Amino acid sequence: MAPSDHGQQRPGLWETVNERYPGSMISKDDTVPLAPLRRPLSEARLTFVSTAGVQPKGTLPFDVVHPIGDYTFRAVPSDSNPVDLEIHQLKYPTDGANRDLNVIFPIQRLQELCDEGVVGELTESFFSFIGYNMDPDLLERTLAEDIADAVEDQLADLALLSPA
Amino acid sequence: MSVTVARDVTEHVKPPRAVFLPFRMGHHFGVPFHTAAQRQIILAALDLVSTATRSGEIVDLPLRWADLRREGAELERRGGA
Repeated sequence: MAPSDHGQQRPGLWETVNERYPGSMISKDDTVPLAPLRRPLSEARLTFVSTAGVQPKGTLPFDVVHPIGDYTFRAVPSDSNPVDLEIHQLKYPTDGANRDLNVIFPIQRLQELCDEGVVGELTESFFSFIGYNMDPDLLERTLAEDIADAVEDQLADLALLSPA
Repeated sequence: MSVTVARDVTEHVKPPRAVFLPFRMGHHFGVPFHTAAQRQIILAALDLVSTATRSGEIVDLPLRWADLRREGAELERRGGA
């Protein structure tokens, strides 16, 4: 399948960024196998992983001006109230999120789906980092592995991902 | 499951399951206070857990940014979602 972006509001994003910063964009040759869910969704434990740069107020802000990025993540308690969270990032418009965090970090909607029994449980924490990371290999060796370990530690059955 | 507004980036990264929305960056789950749309998008992504048949496939959701903006503005005008 040739890369395409029909319908995308900012077309040619991958090519544009990769041309400006060669080698900074991830490209995989192969897909990974579909992993089946091991239990019904209503009994499963869901986590949420986001590049939105959302973090609890009072935690160390992401380094949004480091030339190659910030390869750390923040654990965001899944029972958080949005008023106790804040955003540190420079690479996407936050006009919507500043009024309703759920447009990029839908923590209240996920809490509701859990309360209603649509989803069995939420992991104790969700996970957030910034998308501005210019070294894909370093990202895979460090940040991605660290988050995968954290997700596994919290016994997640499935993960909702949102690359902001 | 990935929720993306950048189809081309997602085609390069190849997550096993993805839904694409033709929305602004930073607005993957729609517009402020439009809780029904936010919920719909999450449920569509969760649905892929059981319905996806091919890894790497990107599913288009039948939502339009212009519609959501209009509906969101109306919700806000009426004072709630």
